[in-house]
Amino acid sequence: MIVEKIVEIKNISFFYGERQVLSNISISFAKQTISAITGASGSGKSTLLSTINRLWEEVGGARVEGRVKIWLEGQEIDVYERQISLPELRRKVGMVFQIPNPLPMSIYKNLTLPLKMAGIKNRDLQREKVESVLKDAFLWSEVEPRLHEDARNLSGGQQQRLCIARAMILEPEVLLLDEPTSSLDEGAVFEIENLLLSLKERCSLLMVSHDLAQVRRVADSAVELVAGSLQ
Amino acid sequence: MNRVYDCLLYFSAGICGLLLLGAVAGLTGFLLWHGLPVLGLELFFGSLKIGEIVDVIFLQQVVVDGLWPAVVGTCLLVLMALSTALPLGLGAGIYLAEYAGGKAKTLFSLTFDLLAGVPSIVIGLFGFSLTLYLHRQFSSLTPCLLISGLSLALLVLPYLVRTTQTALEDLPDSLRLTAAALGAEKSATIILVLLPQALPGIFSGVVLAIGRAAEDTAVIMLTGVVATAGIPRSLFDNYEALPFYIFYTASQFSDQHELQQGFGAALVLLIICVLLFTGAGLIRKKASYRLLYHSK
Repeated sequence: MIVEKIVEIKNISFFYGERQVLSNISISFAKQTISAITGASGSGKSTLLSTINRLWEEVGGARVEGRVKIWLEGQEIDVYERQISLPELRRKVGMVFQIPNPLPMSIYKNLTLPLKMAGIKNRDLQREKVESVLKDAFLWSEVEPRLHEDARNLSGGQQQRLCIARAMILEPEVLLLDEPTSSLDEGAVFEIENLLLSLKERCSLLMVSHDLAQVRRVADSAVELVAGSLQ
Repeated sequence: MNRVYDCLLYFSAGICGLLLLGAVAGLTGFLLWHGLPVLGLELFFGSLKIGEIVDVIFLQQVVVDGLWPAVVGTCLLVLMALSTALPLGLGAGIYLAEYAGGKAKTLFSLTFDLLAGVPSIVIGLFGFSLTLYLHRQFSSLTPCLLISGLSLALLVLPYLVRTTQTALEDLPDSLRLTAAALGAEKSATIILVLLPQALPGIFSGVVLAIGRAAEDTAVIMLTGVVATAGIPRSLFDNYEALPFYIFYTASQFSDQHELQQGFGAALVLLIICVLLFTGAGLIRKKASYRLLYHSK
């Protein structure tokens, strides 16, 4: 069986100032699967993830060498090409962080924000999409009566499912997950894992995790990083 | 030992707070004591009757011996100064916090710090010189509400720039990172994420600006205020203002009643400031709610 690629990382090296965090990494990830990147703390897992949507550039003081290719809507895109629009890339390559990070605004506004940023201003369409992603994230029944309340009032697990819903609202083709369950309790971890399994029908998931049991439960493939190199 | 220091700090900080509270209470009490007895329609409209007061409000009648024109003049001044300085201050604050790098930031910061330190009389002189220059170009232009408003805008601009800048810089970087990860352009991050979160900080700058624009006397003395100008009919007219009325009464009063009217005017100025602060606070609260929670 021919496996279709979604992301290909070629000879990526990453430096924070003089310190090298990633050394010449080459790897590709298959479409519509859950691919896991494992490794000990400080091995460069999150950094590798941030090279795919170039989010590391928002922090500064770092540089990257190498290439990342990504296949979006059937087209091959060189992520490090100069003309590329980063906002557009990041709308197609969503990201969920380690610590749930709902913005300090209502649940509804958290979800409509990416739509507004992408120029989707039709309110009926916004409402439709909000309901749809919240249902996909198994969150609708829990938050429907409190859509206009502060998102930070939700529990940790609910916040993280909200963040996944927010990342999914623009229907990205790739979803990057940086240890999405590491700050949650067991019940919430189970809910998130179920959610991730349900999402791989629609997009490709690249997940950083140091929890090998979780990787065995949800991932279709896994690679291990040791001190910035692939094992 | 640490416990002793804790207690010492607690009590000395508490005493400082109480001293300030006492000073504000003393000042307010002093004004109320002297101003409250004269606070009434007569203070605002002189000897006019109720029917004539309605005419005054609709600019059909002139007030000769009341505060009303000064109240209107002060409100117009604050409005003019804020409407000019707020967009400029917001823009410059956003630039400093979100765009300016290294040298540009240092240069702009230094400039605004210098401007904040310029005495108001110098701003007044600048306004006066500007009027003289403009008078040479357009002979009909003399010191007026427009020049005063613009000069006051220059006076309050640094407060607005600095509070906007600080309010934005104090926001956690995680907000910027989250917005970037969601595909936000820099402008969208600023408008949709950062500014709504920075509103309380920006509001404190607006409050400072309102207070400064309402109370400053030096600037308006040189740029258009007159003791008996009445209500201005256009931006190019002279006007009256409460701080000038207070200054004028306090320095020129001929009897006790006139002095008491000065106290009354000071109390009115305080009330106007409180009302403007409250109004600005309500607008801020409403705007925050609309931007962050309301979605109908």
